Amino acid sequence: MAGLRPYLRLPWRSASRLRADLDEELRFYFDMRTRELVEQGMTDADARREAVREFGDVEYTKRYCLAEDAMSRREDRRTDLVAELRQDLMHSWRTFRRSPGFAVIALLTLALGIGANTAIFSVVNGLLLRDLPFGDPDRVVRVWGAHKDSGVDRSQISAGDFVDLRTRQRSFITLGAFSWGGGTYIGTGDPVPLAGARVDAGVFAALGVRPYLGRTFVVGEDSSGVNPTIVLGFNAWRRVFGGDSTIVGKAVNISGRSRTVIGVLPPTFFFPTMAEAEIFTPLDLTPVLRDVNRIRKFHNLGVIGRLRPGTTVAQAGAELKSIMAELERDFPESNSNMSVATVGMRDAVVGDTRPALLVLLGASLLVLLIACANVAGMLLSRAVSRRQELAVRAALGAGRARLVRQMMTESVVLALGGGAIGLAVAVWGTRALVASAGDRLPAASQVTVDATVLLTALAVSIASGVVFGLVPALAASRGIQLALKESGRGTSSGVSRHRMRTVLVTGQLALAVMLLVGAGLLVRSLVGLQKRDLGYSIESTLTFELMLAGDRYDSAAAQDQFFDALYTRLGALPGVVAVGGSGNIPMRGGAMASLAIDGRPQPEGRLPEVGYQPVSDNLFKAMGVPLKRGRTFGPQDHEKAPPVVILSESLARAFWPNGDPIGSRVRLGPNPNDPWMTVVGIVSDVRMGVDGESRPTAYVSARQDHWGGMAIVMRTTTDPMSMLPAVRREVRAIDATIPVADANSMKAVRTQGLTDRRLPMQLMAAFAVLALVLAAVGVYGVMAYSVAARTREIGVRVALGAQPRNVFGMVLRQGMGAAAAGLTLGLLGAAALGRVLTSLLYGVKPTDVLTFVGVAGVLLTVVLAACLVPARRAVRVDPLEALRSE
Amino acid sequence: MTKPPIDLLQGTVDVLILRTLAWEPMHGYGVSRFIRQRTEGVLAIESAALYQAMHRLERKKWIRAEWGLSENNRRAKYYSLTAEGRKQLRQEAATWRTYAEAVFKVLEPV
Repeated sequence: MAGLRPYLRLPWRSASRLRADLDEELRFYFDMRTRELVEQGMTDADARREAVREFGDVEYTKRYCLAEDAMSRREDRRTDLVAELRQDLMHSWRTFRRSPGFAVIALLTLALGIGANTAIFSVVNGLLLRDLPFGDPDRVVRVWGAHKDSGVDRSQISAGDFVDLRTRQRSFITLGAFSWGGGTYIGTGDPVPLAGARVDAGVFAALGVRPYLGRTFVVGEDSSGVNPTIVLGFNAWRRVFGGDSTIVGKAVNISGRSRTVIGVLPPTFFFPTMAEAEIFTPLDLTPVLRDVNRIRKFHNLGVIGRLRPGTTVAQAGAELKSIMAELERDFPESNSNMSVATVGMRDAVVGDTRPALLVLLGASLLVLLIACANVAGMLLSRAVSRRQELAVRAALGAGRARLVRQMMTESVVLALGGGAIGLAVAVWGTRALVASAGDRLPAASQVTVDATVLLTALAVSIASGVVFGLVPALAASRGIQLALKESGRGTSSGVSRHRMRTVLVTGQLALAVMLLVGAGLLVRSLVGLQKRDLGYSIESTLTFELMLAGDRYDSAAAQDQFFDALYTRLGALPGVVAVGGSGNIPMRGGAMASLAIDGRPQPEGRLPEVGYQPVSDNLFKAMGVPLKRGRTFGPQDHEKAPPVVILSESLARAFWPNGDPIGSRVRLGPNPNDPWMTVVGIVSDVRMGVDGESRPTAYVSARQDHWGGMAIVMRTTTDPMSMLPAVRREVRAIDATIPVADANSMKAVRTQGLTDRRLPMQLMAAFAVLALVLAAVGVYGVMAYSVAARTREIGVRVALGAQPRNVFGMVLRQGMGAAAAGLTLGLLGAAALGRVLTSLLYGVKPTDVLTFVGVAGVLLTVVLAACLVPARRAVRVDPLEALRSE
Repeated sequence: MTKPPIDLLQGTVDVLILRTLAWEPMHGYGVSRFIRQRTEGVLAIESAALYQAMHRLERKKWIRAEWGLSENNRRAKYYSLTAEGRKQLRQEAATWRTYAEAVFKVLEPV
């Protein structure tokens, strides 16, 4: 009987009700006592006075009793709520036990929806929401060089401009500069290449980093003549130096130079916008500041600043821009059009990943919505079979609110269960995401399932429980009055419930269509990217990088000697077709230089910028880039010989539209004292970077511009990676201190490069498939239910002579109606929302007709398949049985 | 308003009410009359204290209240003992008996 008690309890009494009850209780006492005293012979008035007198303190008693009553009312409500919750939970458990199939499907559906959301959210949380591992990170700012006319705003800054910015500005506590500068650790084993940066004393101060061991650079350490020092990143310290806790003060050999370790950075630290940097050496600006040709024309510095408290990024940006404007007036020759762009560090770090992440978060939310709609649909159907149960409970005194609460408990329990499984999915998914994004995610170490993520998953679970539970609960509780009177089938509430399910399914289909379109567009642009002709061949090609380090390579002749020996030795290996070297391989971008043409008037404003690449004699052969006219470089183009240049076809076409550039003279770079270079050949175009952007390029001979390091390209007849041991052997034979870095097949480099494009595409496709399956299950559910509910109607139709194909068609028409509505809505939605994808698309418009048509085809096919089983069931309805069963 | 000096008696009043209701459910007036008659006026317990105690015991769930009809057909609030209250009565009664016996042992001449 204990289970029934809550229904039999009196309704909650209000405070005024409590007072009235108490007054009535006491009035009864006084009336009775007065009567007793009258019976003993008192007059009426005397008796009443006496009753009140002997009672004691009436007012105090009233207050005391009311306080007690109010307290017990509160306690009752609390214990009742707890008891009811327990009751609801037990009831939910029994309900799920009775229909385990429903529970399992609902749980899995929710687990997928919540899991996908949580996984994506944990990435968003780690990259976009969590603090960067810098002291007071909102005050850390990245300053980039910008060109006012071309719109370039992620370029580097010249040393002269940096020093002037630093002295004139008032917005920053510190402004620091850094440039690329790794090195090779030469210990007892193989030399280890380490990526790194040269930083001045201001950089670590601006970042607010507390070292893990030792200290970071101080002012003055960054000038030449001081004992060379080095700061190690945590990973390099652990990996290369075995986590030696006494390393501070020891000397290490980096690229042939002995440097004293002064500190180790903490494990969470990563160098912003250059996360792979592991070693940090002092940046010495003195030589550049002394060189009149480079002081303002050599743009190689990244700048990081720490804002003064109370200064905004915008204010600081405005101040730096005005300083740049002054410099533009003072140095028109070098600084015309030069400015800066100032960006908060968080935006600088995650800038490129943000749109993809937000799109994916949106997509996973759509999946969750579809999952919720599915479970809501299942609950609606179940509510029909549970109508008797609900009616009995209503008859026993459960109010509508109480029934809704019971059913909401069920859905929240379902959602929490789904959420728990979803969390497991999310932990696994987050790990997989980070692993597949690899080192391309900045600050990937920040991505973990932490308390924020757990709380969000909990909130999402409860919210989805409420979302998918409320509508079915309200619908079911509305129908109960009718339930006891009617046998259940064909009631008006049944019809409205069915309409509600159709609306749900239509919505699901629309959402699925939007996801499908998104995935389709991403797939199309990736396929387009992969198919794009790069202008060079990536088949059977090995690439690796060599950086010459040490005093003995100071002379250009020594560098030429090393590379000549290298090409000769590698070229002699069996299976090698051709080998060459280049400043960068095109996939990794390259340098830019301004172009001036002899005999033509200087254009207004800035000189045009073109790609710039020093290459070895055989590079074009090794890359498979055909020579169109003239010749390639050879040993005759040595350092003392007249400078020569080879142009890409598009460059030649752009500047010599009607003539032959061969024999013309050009100058690359801003220094007017550099000699003119004669054009000797034209090669076909090569596309740059991962996206295959076309860029007119000028190639110079590596014998005439020495970068100290080269990216080697080696075409082979066998598996390129199998050549690697031989390559290492040959390099060691020439100089054992030079490491072979970043060795990989060109194909693999390209694949890695496409990873950042492929990952959003794969996730989007996974979400879309998930959405389609869920929507198909939804369609199947609603059609199966509809056929079951219309058995008698179908029986009548068949009895009146309807043919099987009429019945079949009737069911299909109903399903395809929902499909058409969902498709239309979804395509409209996709067309409206397509803009958010623009930044992720390459060569495909957001309203790509082919994608839209394809999605429509896929969706209609799937819906048709989902309708087939219910339609065949409808055809098999036996009219006699259908009519008799009612 | 001063608080009536019932604190010392509180435990006593409680156990008397529980014992009274152990006979049968009663309204407040019935409880007060029953105790008055039983103690033959020896214990001067104000009805105020009784009502306060009944509402307190109701909160403690030792007794429960329901509206019913009185012997003269008026709406009256009837109190009855709960299972919890019955258990409490047994305990309180035992305590009282032990207490009384101890006091007697001291008072009675050997």
